[in-house]
Amino acid sequence: MRKKLVSIVAMGLILVPFLFGSVSAKTLKIGSMSPLTGPYASDGTDIKNGVWTAIKVFEEAGGIPGFDKIEFFPQDTACDPRQAVAAANKLINLGVVGVIGAYCSSSTIPSSEVLDEENIIMITPASTNEKVTDRGLPYMFRMCGRDDDQAPAAAKFLKECLKAKTIFIVDDKTTYSQGLADGVAKAAKALGIKVLGHDHVNQGDKDFSAILTMAKQKNADVFYMSLQGYSPAAMMTLQAKRLGLKSQIVTQDACFQPKFMDVAKDAAEGVYLTYGYTDPTTPEYKAFEKRYVPKYGKIAAYATYAYDSATALLKAIKAAGSTDPAKIKAELMKLDYQGVAKHIKFRPNGDSGSSYIAFKIENGKFVPYWEPKNGLIKK
Amino acid sequence: MEYFIQQLINGLTLGGMYALIALGYTMVYGVILLINFAHGEFFAAGGYIGAVVLGYLAGHGFLKTHPVLSLTAAFVLAMAYCAYLAIGVEKIAYKPLRKASRLAALLSALGMSIFLSNGMMLTRGVYDKVYPSELFQGRFDFGLVSISYLQIMIVSLTACLLLGLNLLVFRTKIGMAMRATAQDKTMSALVAISSNRIISLTFAIGAGLAAAAGIMYGLYYGSVRYDMGFIPGIKAFAAAVLGGIGNITGAMLGGLIIGMVEIFGAGYISGEYKDVFAFIILIAVLYFKPTGIMGENIDDTRV
Repeated sequence: MRKKLVSIVAMGLILVPFLFGSVSAKTLKIGSMSPLTGPYASDGTDIKNGVWTAIKVFEEAGGIPGFDKIEFFPQDTACDPRQAVAAANKLINLGVVGVIGAYCSSSTIPSSEVLDEENIIMITPASTNEKVTDRGLPYMFRMCGRDDDQAPAAAKFLKECLKAKTIFIVDDKTTYSQGLADGVAKAAKALGIKVLGHDHVNQGDKDFSAILTMAKQKNADVFYMSLQGYSPAAMMTLQAKRLGLKSQIVTQDACFQPKFMDVAKDAAEGVYLTYGYTDPTTPEYKAFEKRYVPKYGKIAAYATYAYDSATALLKAIKAAGSTDPAKIKAELMKLDYQGVAKHIKFRPNGDSGSSYIAFKIENGKFVPYWEPKNGLIKK
Repeated sequence: MEYFIQQLINGLTLGGMYALIALGYTMVYGVILLINFAHGEFFAAGGYIGAVVLGYLAGHGFLKTHPVLSLTAAFVLAMAYCAYLAIGVEKIAYKPLRKASRLAALLSALGMSIFLSNGMMLTRGVYDKVYPSELFQGRFDFGLVSISYLQIMIVSLTACLLLGLNLLVFRTKIGMAMRATAQDKTMSALVAISSNRIISLTFAIGAGLAAAAGIMYGLYYGSVRYDMGFIPGIKAFAAAVLGGIGNITGAMLGGLIIGMVEIFGAGYISGEYKDVFAFIILIAVLYFKPTGIMGENIDDTRV
């Protein structure tokens, strides 16, 4: 009998959170989708923290008229398309107005289709694959740049700044990383750079000795590394140095994460990468830095974009004065302001423009190095 | 040729680590016929303890002045910790199920694995934990072939551990007791061998070896993370099955084979298929010899 009682009480306790969920009436619900577990958990957590910061800042500034509070539902996609779709369905059931996410392009694409059926606005802070906005979904927006802008910028950098004649490319076969690697291969060929090899590794691999030995033997001018997330890239950089790879390592936006240098240490020095230009001297950036850094640590790749995505969404909801997606979309298109990461102005297809430049890692910091228009950036 | 030798060295390093982890699977299976799926988590926990100890010593400047002593401390602490962790896991998750069906214990092992890896995520965070880089910097270069000091350290330490385990199992009284328990629990109990103690000891030794592999892994790849036990765990399990589960010589051999096949598959064909090759070898061997290379339970080598 006592056992039965205990189990009944336990069942009751499990149900408690569901009871509270349905009571709250005048709240605005915002969701986020990013990998909070698995190999890309760190990048996903940055996105969650960015959105959180935006909501806090917005609430302190007075919130949104007509709503008591803003409720935030961060969901875990684990960078897995199936889990991302499940997360999107869960957010639909929770009745969110907008979603910030996802991180991996391979998660964003299928989950956006689910959200689109319910006319829920989705703003991705991090998915750079072209297909994200090229499918013509009316409520899909993108805060970061596009890979078909990043790849030519990277190829131009290799040709003009590094004077590369040969290149060896490695990717880890995600929609994002392989799409970008293919783009770089194509753009490099068009500029007369010879592709000596294009090999793939698997997600979750830690041992790259075999492929690096191959790259060392080919000895290309540039070793281009397109991996999903900073962690495998940092390990590859470290192992490349230990093996004595002479090629210049160039990588992409997923490595714009201070932890890249924590893991790769000295090996990271002199590595180049392409990433959207963010002006760290704007008052918006400084204000964000002041709020974010004491709580979450160094600002990483997509925290700023996540913050801007959430702020843009909240601004549009406030201006629209309703949760009608068509009205919110109209307000999103009207936005034209300086955000933390970039100047925010959406284009009709949902993109907000790319601003890729090359950074160099010097003394453990990302230093702006070269831009496609004017070449080397003077310090 | 140089290319081949370089890949051989790469394969040896990786295979050695797989062999160390595979031993834990095979020894536990030998004694209680359980696939301990939580074994990969002992490996990750060992890597974490190593990172914490070495990070602490590096912070106090001790690592620079006494590198060998620091490393010994890290290995001893991590191996001891994981040995106790494994004994605890066995007492909590497997011992109550010893009389239950084997499926129940297997599910309990899977649950333990998820519990431990998520526990590490919650307590240690989702970010990579970095190893200090002062240790074993540099390499020998012979033309295109280069061997880093780290690889030499890892391969020689692995060899020492494998040799030590062989001596323990085949040359000592404890080893004899372990083999006796593996062969027949009732009979060994009749000659006053406590099977509970032997089972605990088996878990402890297996986890200790996995912890050593965890530290080597951290040193070699520069960082550890909460989820690092999963893939090497699966590979090592495959290695144990390949060698003939229950057979310790087989596990060592299986680990080396899986490591080599992976590296050569990646080096000569393509990096994306390296796991495919590792598992093709596994399937091929099991097809022609279902008990694995060294066979299961054919002589008294089982532990």
